[in-house]
This record gives sequence, structure tokens and C-alpha cells, in this order.
Amino acid sequence: MLDPGDDDTLAAAFAARERWAFDEAYRRYAPSLYSAAYNVLGNAEDAADCVQDALTRVWRSPHAYRRERGLVRSFLVVCVRNEAISRRRSQLRRQHLEARLAAEPQEHEVLRAGDPIERDRLRAALAKLPPQQRVPLELAYYEGKTHAEISDELREPLGTVKSRIAAGLRKLAAALDTATP
Amino acid sequence: MNERDHVGENAALYALGALDEFTQSAVDAHAAGCAACSRLLGAAEDDVARMAAAEPRHQPPGAMVRRLRPNLPAAHAGLLSWGAFAAALLLAILPSAYFWQENQAMRAAMTARTDAMSRLAGTSVRSATFTAMNGGASARVMYAPDGSWYVVLVRGAEGALDVAWMHDGRRTMLGTVQPYGDVAMLYLPKSHRMDQLALVEGPRVVAEAQLAYESK
Ligand SMILES: [Zn+2]
Repeated sequence: MLDPGDDDTLAAAFAARERWAFDEAYRRYAPSLYSAAYNVLGNAEDAADCVQDALTRVWRSPHAYRRERGLVRSFLVVCVRNEAISRRRSQLRRQHLEARLAAEPQEHEVLRAGDPIERDRLRAALAKLPPQQRVPLELAYYEGKTHAEISDELREPLGTVKSRIAAGLRKLAAALDTATP
Repeated sequence: MNERDHVGENAALYALGALDEFTQSAVDAHAAGCAACSRLLGAAEDDVARMAAAEPRHQPPGAMVRRLRPNLPAAHAGLLSWGAFAAALLLAILPSAYFWQENQAMRAAMTARTDAMSRLAGTSVRSATFTAMNGGASARVMYAPDGSWYVVLVRGAEGALDVAWMHDGRRTMLGTVQPYGDVAMLYLPKSHRMDQLALVEGPRVVAEAQLAYESK
């Protein structure tokens, strides 16, 4: 396990944009970041590009990370996932456009790849949430939908969707935390 | 939302990647200047990182790991960021000193560190690197442009190291760097400019640093 003091030192140096802190964060977290990207994009080449682009963007934004943000690892996982989701969205837009041009009806595409059996731990935790929280959370996490799209799809007001996602996320994280092997 | 609005419930959406790009940028811009919202985002990011960690792991192929490594352009403001690093380090070690409040020497050391910290928070910090040391250790000195204080930081050294002032062919011992985890440090309040410092292990000089000042 990581020593919390060590994480603090890394976070302080990362916030101060110390080059060694970026190298160290990369050394520690590259496998997690790559996995996060792969789980969205489903492709090794794209996942690698995505991690590289996300980290370069963080490095170039002087105020992207500040100390209050907390764990550098969580911050980077979300940066990489958001980059991956935005890439996937533009891939889907392109595919939809091409499909429309080809005049072929396109099946709704889910933002995912990989073996569903391997995702049991997250799926199992999600299955325990009440449907009101589970459904919008899954639409966001697995399908990369925006809150506006989710609100449309579920015919629920935006504010309701936001609150349910926020509450569902808190509950799910707490469940995963206690279930961590 | 726009840049002036607090993040609120958008924190969870941000961390999940469920915001449109415009709102996501507004959150980024706002969080850069708001500590409370940065904390809120950090908590939501921890939650999503837990979700991601519960998904299947994919190992990047070895060749890809090397290619993955971002080729980062050089950062600016190296001196300042070393100052921030040292200030954070000083903050981290301060609490341990409270256990020794009865001890006069520790109290003096605490005062000295608090003093160093407030000085480091200022902007006019200079810095010099010590010459390469054995075993991958590295060391640096940060100092005031007027020579009123010096902080020596050593990373990854094995034995105890003393700091010496080298002048006129003589060596004046200034003190021993104190270990805090894998970093060791010595704070030296002084009243004069020192041009050359050395790290000394027993009788042997293991590294030297040349300190530069603006002539005035
Ligand atoms: Zn705020």
C-alpha cells in the first residue's frame, strides 16, 4: 500500500508542477490509467494515445490540479476517462454520420468493450442500488451519456437526474470501498 | 453553469464524464480558483476512481508503456516550485515536532522551520543543485538572495550528511541534515552570503554546490 505521507508529498509536488512528480505519478499509475482508457475505448492503440493526450494536457494546464483536489491518482483517472469518453463520443458522432450517409439504420451503440464477466465487481455493486439511482448512473458511466441526454431518455427533470446520480455515486463508492478485497 | 458558479451537484457528473464539454470547461475554470469546489471534485473523483478500479485490468504491452510516457515540454518557474515543495515538506513535518514541546532544542527547531516556511512562501527564492552523488541521491539548496537563510534538501541519501561552508580553502561545519522519510533537510538562518556549500560524509566531501547571487 502507498504511504499517505508519500501521497501528500507527491500531491504537493504535482500541484507545484514539479517534473519529477509527473514522472513519478506516471510510473505509479500508468497501468490504472491505461485500464481506465481501455475500458472506455476497447482498443489498445486508442487507449495508449488517450492516456498520452490526457497527461500532456494536464501538464500544459498550470492550474488543472491544486492541492485541495486530493489524490493525484483519482484526479488522473478521471482526466483520462473524460478524455476517453470525449473521443468515444466523437467516434460515435462520426459513425452515426457515416451511417446516415449510407442510409442504413444504426443500432444504438453502447460505449463499451471487454468481457462482461470480468466486470462483475462493479456490476454486482451497481445491481444493489435502487433502480432510480442505478439507471442514470449506468447511462453516464457505461454509455458516456451527458446528463441532458439522460434526462431526455428517462423523461426526468435535469435536477432530479443530477441528484440521483450524485446520491447513487456516493452509495456505490461506499459499497465498493467496504467490498475491496 | 458558468465559471463563477460553484460546482455543486455537477461534481459527480464531472467525475463521471457526463457533462457536455462547455460545462466541463466551466467546472475546470472555476475549480482552479476555488478550494471548496476542488475538494468536492476530489471526493467525486475518488468515487469514480473506485468504480474504475472495480473494472477489469488491462496491461499495456511493454513497448507501449515506453511510447505512452508523455514527452512533456519543460516546465517554467523551477525555483518557485522547489520552494512550494519545501514548504509542503515543512508543513508535513511540523506536527511531529509538537510531541517534543518540552524540549528546548526542538522548540527552537520548530521556530526555525516556521520561519523557513514563511520565507519559502515568499517569491524570491534561489536554488542550486549539488554535483552528482553516489547511489542516485540528489541534493539541492534553496536560499535567499540576500543570504539570510538556506535550506538544504537531500533525497535518497543513505548515511548521515553534514553541510559545510567552503571558503578561503577552509571548511566550516554548519550542521547535519535531518531525515524525514526519504528526504533529509537542514535549515540554516544566516546573515551572510555563502558561495559554496558541500555535503560531507565523515571526513569526505561527497557533493558540492555553487551558489550564485545577483551583484548589487
Ligand atoms: Zn466553488
